[in-house]
Amino acid sequence: MPTREELALLVRTTISDVLGTGTEEVREQTSLSADHDIDSLELMEIGARLERSLQVRIEVEDLTAAQTVGQAIDLLAARAGERS
Amino acid sequence: MTGRHRSGGHRVAVTGIGVKSPAGTDLEAAWTTVLKGRPTAATVGRLPEAGLPVHFACLVPEFDLDAYLTHRESRQIDRSTRLLLCAAADAVEDAALPPGTAPDRAGVQIGTGIGGLPSMEEVTLSHADRPRDMPVHTVPRTMANSPATRLAMRYGFRGPCTTYSSACASGTTAVGEAARKIRYGDLDLALAGGTDSAVTTVVMGAFARMRAMSVRNEDPAAASRPFDTDRDGFVMAEGAAVLVLERWDLARARGARIYGEVAGYAENCDAAHVVAPVEDGSVAGRCMRQALADAGLSPADIGHINAHGTSTVLNDRAEARAIDRCFHGQSPPVTAVKGVTGHLIGGSGALEAALALLCAARGSVPAIANLATSPEADLVDLVIGAPRAIAPAPVLSNSFGFGGQNACLVLTPEGAADRPAPPASPRS
Repeated sequence: MPTREELALLVRTTISDVLGTGTEEVREQTSLSADHDIDSLELMEIGARLERSLQVRIEVEDLTAAQTVGQAIDLLAARAGERS
Repeated sequence: MTGRHRSGGHRVAVTGIGVKSPAGTDLEAAWTTVLKGRPTAATVGRLPEAGLPVHFACLVPEFDLDAYLTHRESRQIDRSTRLLLCAAADAVEDAALPPGTAPDRAGVQIGTGIGGLPSMEEVTLSHADRPRDMPVHTVPRTMANSPATRLAMRYGFRGPCTTYSSACASGTTAVGEAARKIRYGDLDLALAGGTDSAVTTVVMGAFARMRAMSVRNEDPAAASRPFDTDRDGFVMAEGAAVLVLERWDLARARGARIYGEVAGYAENCDAAHVVAPVEDGSVAGRCMRQALADAGLSPADIGHINAHGTSTVLNDRAEARAIDRCFHGQSPPVTAVKGVTGHLIGGSGALEAALALLCAARGSVPAIANLATSPEADLVDLVIGAPRAIAPAPVLSNSFGFGGQNACLVLTPEGAADRPAPPASPRS
């Protein structure tokens, strides 16, 4: 199971890749909707990539529940914890 | 001149042009390359590596995509859509559209012959054994209306957004149908054009299986030779072109620079063979006559013809017969720019409409690249060797596609409609 730090790096890298930005623009307090106007397909793409990388099932509700990147990382850490 | 077309509808002005083509990534560059007759075909490494019989194509030269698209947008769309968005951005800038265009009165009309097949090919090759992992954007990237709708999104144009697919005539169909929508009051402004980018191993392999393409692998630059005795097929190209079309009176009122008018358009279908044209050119000839009639012109009013001229024996021979029929043996000068540009499929009709209008306005008809002698020279006045000087006059631009699709545009350069008809051009 990845550490929270490793997970944070993976999530930030995945998000920045999909949004075509640098990882420095995706911080824990970043809101994907307010700061990047993310659309539903981009969110699904991020979820699909993280599912592949982490080998966990990510529900659509998980994707939309998190208000910030930090919350998403916490949610994923919990999911990965449930799996292990 | 009034703002009314002879049909009673609105006249349609061309106020902006943008191109991303093998001949150049702006209109002037493309014009120069075509006028100088410099072929753009070159070997594309992945084609011989795949063992294909055709090793070459005409590709759009590299340009700064970042000047047009964010990485985020770019990664969601395929090359065909990217080229279209870039060409459209140039066209919109060229037209200097004022802010405040009513969104519901502006639309997008785009032609594509191949659509999203190349990007579907890519995802099929990369994900055939793990389809559940394919990118989430696969459908919006590959759907045939992706280029047109992305364009509508970019500019917020909420009028009719239509994708036309009439094979190699798609770009001409889109420009003609856009003009009709303005003429009959559905739109005041349209981004009209075409795009395709299909130099992939599967698409190239499929065309090659029909033996429709040149296999002059040892000399790609000499491969596209419309109407020439030694032609052996067409040369695949990629690219996009967009014309900004506006209601004539509104364009005038805002002081727009007007290249000319989409004065006439017609389309019909051979309904005979799925790929081969009707040999005697009768149906295509009728399409040309209908386009002239739509513009209210007679054959003698046409200053030159931009032929479809693919460099296949079947197309060129049937087209020459069609022109001969339409013009009653009195062919105006005929050029065919595919000798330089190759065949952009859905992009070709729009690129050629733009170039033809420029040629008509500047009174210079490009020589057909690689044309030395032609078995059709007794039927039509082919421009050979050097550009032909003509008086500015309306031009007929032809596109014919697999499926027996025929589409013809008549474009009149600004000012030429006020001049008397040019004298019949002497044969060279």
